[in-house]
Amino acid sequence: MVGDLLFWQTLANTVIYAVGTVVPGLAIGLGLALLLRPIRRGGTLLRSAVFLPAIVSGVATALVWGWILNPRFGLLNAILGLAGIRGPSWLQDPTWAMPALIVIGLWNVGVNVVVYLAALSTVPRDLLEAAALDGAGAVARFRAVTWPALTPITFYLGIVNAIGAFQVFTPTYLLTRGGPDHATLTLALYTYQNAFRFGQIGYASALALGMVVVIVGLTAFQFRVLGRRVAYLGAES
Amino acid sequence: MIAPGLAAVRRPLRIALAVAAVLPFAVPLLWLVLGALKPPGQFYAAPPTILPDPPSLEAIQSALRLVDAPRLVANSLLLAALNVVGTIASAAVVGFAFATLPARGRQPLFALLVATILVPPAVTLIPQYILFSRLGWVGTYLPLVVPQFLGSAFAIFLFRQWFRSLPANLFESAELDGANPFQQLRYIALPLARPVIAAIAVFAFVGSWNDFLGPLLYLRSPDTFTVSLGLASFQGLYVNQVQQSMALSLLALLPVVAVFALAQRWLIQGVTSGGVRG
Repeated sequence: MVGDLLFWQTLANTVIYAVGTVVPGLAIGLGLALLLRPIRRGGTLLRSAVFLPAIVSGVATALVWGWILNPRFGLLNAILGLAGIRGPSWLQDPTWAMPALIVIGLWNVGVNVVVYLAALSTVPRDLLEAAALDGAGAVARFRAVTWPALTPITFYLGIVNAIGAFQVFTPTYLLTRGGPDHATLTLALYTYQNAFRFGQIGYASALALGMVVVIVGLTAFQFRVLGRRVAYLGAES
Repeated sequence: MIAPGLAAVRRPLRIALAVAAVLPFAVPLLWLVLGALKPPGQFYAAPPTILPDPPSLEAIQSALRLVDAPRLVANSLLLAALNVVGTIASAAVVGFAFATLPARGRQPLFALLVATILVPPAVTLIPQYILFSRLGWVGTYLPLVVPQFLGSAFAIFLFRQWFRSLPANLFESAELDGANPFQQLRYIALPLARPVIAAIAVFAFVGSWNDFLGPLLYLRSPDTFTVSLGLASFQGLYVNQVQQSMALSLLALLPVVAVFALAQRWLIQGVTSGGVRG
């Protein structure tokens, strides 16, 4: 496995996918939650629109995006065409295939939005009001009160999202089959191919074990490095 | 009023910003619906037209001719129903035991159970496949159903949290009246657990209905295929049937949306109380 160049490439692809979806996924999730929370009229509609993609099956998601990203009659290149830009052939282009998959992954960020919305309602009001009385502006209040109160849930989402991202399978299986030129071959897909296409069940088991090591290592890293920055309510910080 | 959120930004600007931010999530779904309802000639138009003119059910009808949709839906519904029943039946019993019955080693056992929630499914995939193939279950529904009847860790966790939040004297007085633990569960605990049952039922239903990898690995004969597998077959076999695949995606989406819409108010109650109460 260590001597298999393709293994290292799939590992790199998977890490790029995980970083590309998890970090922006947290930022977009929190940003949308902050943006949508104060909206009263029509707020339910907007929040549902953001959440809905998260319950669309992986297969339907892949089909819709495969069509939107179609270079010839897809919606995205039609919109780019209006601006005079000739869009690339996204999923068939070695440079753009991985960014396209990341965008598809980010389409499911609605779960994070819902979790952040619930967490925002637990931010202590008295602290916010006290900070406002002390003359703290919106940005200062966010940095001093809201964000520290959200660190435990951010930590949780970061771990859960990363574990999920490391197992991404359906979009690469259906849309790119790992191509073009192995640009989107992820660990889960490579494991699947070895086990169920190439009949290399032993090698697939080794790959799965490699995946465990990476996921456990990453989770331990998150606990050690990021876990320290988590502020729990009631604890002195 | 001081609240977390961007209350400081002026209202019209905020709403414009929110709508713009929501568009990337809404447009692909709208595009799916519009695409499914276009007359066949308009689907591949370049540049694309936006509204179906006139709306047409032709794509849906032709999708239904390509795949045996009633059978796919019946298979998916059967699997989803078995998943819901199995998950709730097993998790309620185990969760009740963890919550109320004193037993030595209960705490470490529960900790071990919760730890398994974090084990990525991709890791257990191959050993599980080997196990099921040795049992001769490949090609049957058993690998997709039996594990749920043996308990889902997350559902057990939710049930246990919920039952622990009920007053203990409810069960003590029932015990004095001679009710055994199963009767306590059946007549006292379960009727009080409707929100958590609803939440678990929705997750089990949607999880099973949307599952792709499970059916892909274990189902072999097309007459056992699920909606997800039927949809996926469009990607390989019928490359020129993109519009039909959109039509079928739309049909596959409806039950999930309906379930969420119906269960919405139960969901939040069932999940949050499980997480917040000790």
